[in-house]
Amino acid sequence: MSLDRQGQIATLVEHYQNPRYKGILEDADVAMPGGSPECGGSVVIYVKVGKEGRIDALSFTGEGDIISQAATSMILEQVQGEGHTMDEILALDYEDFVDRVGREAVGSRTRNATLGLSTLKSAVRKYQKDSLHNGSAAEPACSR
Amino acid sequence: MDQEIQQKGYANPESLVTTEWVAEHLNDTDNVRIVESDEDVLLYDIGHIPNAVKIDWVEDLNDPLVRDYLDPEHFAQLMSEKGITPDTTVVFYGDKNNWWATYALWVFQLFGHDNVRVMDGGRIKWEQEGREMTQEVPSFPRTDYPVPQRDDSKIRAFKEDVMEHLEKRGPLVDVRSPGEYSGELLHMPDYPQEGALRGGHIPGAANVPWARAVREDGTFKSADELREIYEGEAGLSEGEDVIAYCRIGERSSHTWFVLKYLLGYDNVRNYDGSWTEWGNAVRAPIER
Repeated sequence: MSLDRQGQIATLVEHYQNPRYKGILEDADVAMPGGSPECGGSVVIYVKVGKEGRIDALSFTGEGDIISQAATSMILEQVQGEGHTMDEILALDYEDFVDRVGREAVGSRTRNATLGLSTLKSAVRKYQKDSLHNGSAAEPACSR
Repeated sequence: MDQEIQQKGYANPESLVTTEWVAEHLNDTDNVRIVESDEDVLLYDIGHIPNAVKIDWVEDLNDPLVRDYLDPEHFAQLMSEKGITPDTTVVFYGDKNNWWATYALWVFQLFGHDNVRVMDGGRIKWEQEGREMTQEVPSFPRTDYPVPQRDDSKIRAFKEDVMEHLEKRGPLVDVRSPGEYSGELLHMPDYPQEGALRGGHIPGAANVPWARAVREDGTFKSADELREIYEGEAGLSEGEDVIAYCRIGERSSHTWFVLKYLLGYDNVRNYDGSWTEWGNAVRAPIER
């Protein structure tokens, strides 16, 4: 059953106060920044890729408004929970995700709501590009 | 007049009120309307000052199709919906050191609603003092707010005005971060559509990041402290015609408020086209 606006806000606030997968992933293959602390919010998405393009581990750090931080927590929970591959992540639809977060609560701030998803996609693209160039997985971003 | 505000030596001390003043006027809803305006659009929903209404800079103050503010008819309609009359004292407060509160105040000024104040310290000070918050959204009788004239000329600068200002070597203040000012950052990472083709600043502009005007507790610095920053460091002076800008004119509305109200500059304008316009404009000169 879909939530009403207050229910959507309650879910967002719960994720904001108890973010899933928050923190630096020390052995990440990619650490991708997105957004701006001066406007809405900023996040860094950490991705570690396993066999057959499966995501082994994900995490994020960030600061900003409730929508951007909570929606980032929600997308990481979704990707981990549903076991998405990199290609499946790239195929995720922004509008569908905004519906999942709660369109009534998000209002005109769809960009804030999709900050985590867009940054996650950027992280996946970077991993794929680096892998293509190097002929193997990129070096762990945090060891540089 | 609040002693706390008076002691800070502002040119227009009545432009600020303390949290205590607001607490004492919570129920004076016939004369005072408290308006919350935030960057974080859900903050009002999870708790706000009792009897405060919300004004969202995107949904309430921007025109949805033209890059401009709402027209006079819609402003009058908004005022009516919020129970505001031309005589109502409007007190703005919000998150991020009152960044969006001053932006909303600036838009109100375009329509000549002069009876405006800012709650010094904003939302964070109210919260940290443990004052009452509520999720109850107040409802006030609609008012008959006459459709005002909008006058952009006194406090708003357009690109052509900035070009003219440059030719006269008029003072400009760039209130963005040092990275944006130097051209190191072209746009927000991952959002190139909100950026600019070129990084840097308008030639001759001084760089004073907007948040330097506030103390750690969110309240504005004293007039002496502000003069040291804007006049001592940035070289502005009260008698000059000053233009402030940032990325889209929101951060610079904060600096506009500081210069106009707290330091008493008569001629200060906010260039809301800011870097998203200037950085992309053909033949607009820049400096790095």
